[in-house]
Amino acid sequence: MPERAQPAARAGGRIDPAALMKIKSLQLRAKVVVDGYLSGLHRSPMHGFSVEFSEYRPYTPGDDLRFLDWRLYARSDRFHLKRFEEETNLRCWLLVDLSRSMSFHSLAYDKAEYAKTAAATMAWFLTLQRDAVGLVTFDEALDEYLPARYRPGHVHRLMMSLERAPAGRGTDIAAPLEQIARTARKRGLVVLISDLLAPVAAIERQLGCLRARGHDLAVVRVLDPAEVAFSFASESLFFDLESGRELYVDPAAAKAAYLGRFQAHAAEMSAACRKLGTDVFTVTTNQPLDLVLARLLQSRMSGRRVARRSGPLRPRAAGGGP
Amino acid sequence: MSLLVPLYLAGLTALGLPLLLHLVRRTPRGRQEFSSLMFLSPAAPRLTHRSRLDQLLLLALRLAALALLAFAFARPFLRETALLAAGDLPGRRVAILVDVSASLRRADLWKQAVGKVEDELRQLTPRDDVALYIFSDHVTTLAGFDPDQAGPRPGKPQILRQLLQGVQPGWRAGDLGAALLAVAAEIDTATDAGSSAREPLIVVVSDFQHGSKIEALQGTDWPRRVHVVPRVVAAARPTNAVAQALPPAEGANDDPAQIRVRVANAADSTGSQFYLKWAGGPPPEQPGRELAVFVPPGQSRIVRLPRGVESQMANQIQLRGDDHDFDNRFCVAPRIQRDVAVLYVGTDGDAPRGLARFLRLAGASDPMRKVDLQIAPDPPRTVVPRQPSPQLIVVSRLVAPAEAAALKDYAGSGGTLLLVLAHQELAGLASLVLDLDEPAALPAADYLLLGDVDFSHRLFAPFADPRYSDFTKIHFWRHCRLNLRQPSSARVLARFDNGDPAVLEQTLGAGRAFVLAGGWRPDDSQLALSSKFVPLVGGLLDVACGDSPARFDRLEVGARLVWPEFVGDAPIIVTLPDRRTLQLPPHARELTGVDQPGEYDIAAGAARLSLAVNIAASESDTAPMDLSQLEQRGVRLGPALTRAERLDRARQQRDTELESRQRIWRWLIAAALSVLIVETFYAGWAERRIVQQEAGS
Repeated sequence: MPERAQPAARAGGRIDPAALMKIKSLQLRAKVVVDGYLSGLHRSPMHGFSVEFSEYRPYTPGDDLRFLDWRLYARSDRFHLKRFEEETNLRCWLLVDLSRSMSFHSLAYDKAEYAKTAAATMAWFLTLQRDAVGLVTFDEALDEYLPARYRPGHVHRLMMSLERAPAGRGTDIAAPLEQIARTARKRGLVVLISDLLAPVAAIERQLGCLRARGHDLAVVRVLDPAEVAFSFASESLFFDLESGRELYVDPAAAKAAYLGRFQAHAAEMSAACRKLGTDVFTVTTNQPLDLVLARLLQSRMSGRRVARRSGPLRPRAAGGGP
Repeated sequence: MSLLVPLYLAGLTALGLPLLLHLVRRTPRGRQEFSSLMFLSPAAPRLTHRSRLDQLLLLALRLAALALLAFAFARPFLRETALLAAGDLPGRRVAILVDVSASLRRADLWKQAVGKVEDELRQLTPRDDVALYIFSDHVTTLAGFDPDQAGPRPGKPQILRQLLQGVQPGWRAGDLGAALLAVAAEIDTATDAGSSAREPLIVVVSDFQHGSKIEALQGTDWPRRVHVVPRVVAAARPTNAVAQALPPAEGANDDPAQIRVRVANAADSTGSQFYLKWAGGPPPEQPGRELAVFVPPGQSRIVRLPRGVESQMANQIQLRGDDHDFDNRFCVAPRIQRDVAVLYVGTDGDAPRGLARFLRLAGASDPMRKVDLQIAPDPPRTVVPRQPSPQLIVVSRLVAPAEAAALKDYAGSGGTLLLVLAHQELAGLASLVLDLDEPAALPAADYLLLGDVDFSHRLFAPFADPRYSDFTKIHFWRHCRLNLRQPSSARVLARFDNGDPAVLEQTLGAGRAFVLAGGWRPDDSQLALSSKFVPLVGGLLDVACGDSPARFDRLEVGARLVWPEFVGDAPIIVTLPDRRTLQLPPHARELTGVDQPGEYDIAAGAARLSLAVNIAASESDTAPMDLSQLEQRGVRLGPALTRAERLDRARQQRDTELESRQRIWRWLIAAALSVLIVETFYAGWAERRIVQQEAGS
């Protein structure tokens, strides 16, 4: 069925997310989206263990003797350490918000499903590029934590972790970000996929901490079309999925105020992220996923971040090596 | 407007249901889950109670239907008259039957009984007629019923109160069955069965003790209309026991010094340890020693209550240990001290250490007899007196032939002779009554002892107990050897340890003679100074004049006292237990109306007789009776309604009649159905209109 759905879904050059979500396997969805993207080598600013020589460094007491170049010693009677370029370089952590608010949906699938697919897509894409991918899912507490790895089976584990249903109620971005900060000593890319329906100040503070540790940040905001447009017709008792609070709302009367506040919040969030040197990519769940990926890559390649350091998310088609 | 079953008005709570439904319908139809309410303002809801209720007409119709149904079930009716007064109640004939048997003397039972009667009198209505009866073994009418036509006399309850004040419980037994039958017959007759509308009722105020007789109810037809309301009085402390003296068992060789006493304990008693003792008697009253008796509740024990020396003349058995003492004294007929005349024929006269002296001393200590010991003048003037004849003649000297003939005549006519042969020279005296051979030579001996004593004889029976059968401390220094000619009709009651007869008995015509082959003076033997001497003399006197066994006439209070006719024309004086005296005509032989327990002394001139009257044993069985026993015997026990309850019943009956006549509930049901029909149509119309409006919008 996915194979048959694929040509239709590709009509117009983009993948219809509704058709995509009918594919049960998350891995297959990611494959479909990433389709065509291949792995690439990225030079790392870090020195590691690889076959590609980087430089010699004079020995200082305390260095690991394993890295002594005995041949050079034979030749020069000097102790030198041999250093190699680290071949795998990008460490990417996908932070996926699976709180209750992500289970809201006005379409056939909810935001969490969309976010999981987006995360799977990125993970697959990065895996294809032989980059290490880690996963953190969270609600009001940390749910799953997979360290950034590149090894056989890791992406499968990652997909399995993603497929678990959201269980929590609230959203607490602080816990996953702290976890990343504690475990990721090496710098990398942190992609936060969430609806960001939380006070801006809290999110800004946590992202700021992460940014201060040198990590690169990408924020993908997943929203339901109904949340953006507040397209409710009849008056209803609105039930907050996270807090359980109930509120009787007449959409006709409340729409204007809602949209005003919503857009103010979005603008505030964008401003905060821009301050941190990143952008918020807002996607609604009715938008094609490859568009999201493309926009993210495009954004990563452009601007000063590209000038400042080699972009880790660069498609092979988009350019060569460092 | 009143309601017959106001409880159904609770159905009005169902009115809340349509209200609730109308409110529930107005809550928001949808429940919209939303990711976050952070952008939605908590605007004041437009839902107020007032605005929630729409379709008010529909609501009102539904409420009205339910309310009409609830009212219909509550059975409303229109009261025509004012409230019932006590005077509107139908009249009754109430016979109050009060128990005045002896068991009502317990604790405060009489006070309780008077209180119960007072309660009953208070519950009377002006149209009730009341009569007051008291009963023990018979029924007494204190105030009867008034004629039916005249109606009850005003102020009759007050008269009854005054009459009751003069009544106290008596000592007689209670016969509840006979009393119920008598009063039921009277009330049934007074009510005249079908002609009077007055309901006959007997209120019995009694302790309904187990011993109360109800056998009279057996096999009789209880009047159908008469109901009995029992009002039970009960003592707080239930333990009650009774002691009754029993006559000696037939054929048993009972010791007259020990009397059989039956101690019965009531079934509901809580105690079971009681004590018996002898009490009463001529003053100064000397309390006897107590005998402990253990009787479990509901059981009886028969014990032997010994009479000590100090209580020989006691005439009451007293029981201690229970809670009620009305029946704790049981009177027995007192022993009467008998006059016994003894003639002494001897040479030592009234010498200080002579035979007659010791005989007099021995007889003086007997509480049951008054011994008059006469010393016969010296010979040859001694003649046996004829009138009054002595019961015993003691001979200790040789007698002249004339005297011998007189003594033989005396014995042959029923007298008793005692021949005392203090030494061998007196052996000839024995030939007066015995056939003797020439005695053998008396061997020299230090002393002799008594042996081979026949304890089965009445003379020695008191010493039959091994504790008292030791005669070895009585030494005989001198004795008279009697050589009985064989065969002999004389009975040897005791022998000396050398085989010589010591005590012999010879029957002579209607009388008898005893021969003592020794003396009791201290010069002759130690007999007079031993502890055996007094009982021995007592036994001899018993044989001579017969003992005085206690009378066991089982006379109860209420019985007729009958006695044998007295000789002479003296008027008969009866002294009652309370020391009052009654004078009866000469030759009267009975006394009726004995209504108190105790000792009745009947005297005619010098002759005197005592009779003991006691409370009936059944009165002491104070455990409460099972009232169902009355029902089993046909008595109809009725409900005990107070005046307020009767008013309630009458009111309820009148209301039911009114309601069943008016039947307003039918109209209410019809109205409820009409309202429901209108509601159905209106609801349909309103729904169609709403649908059209929604379609139009």
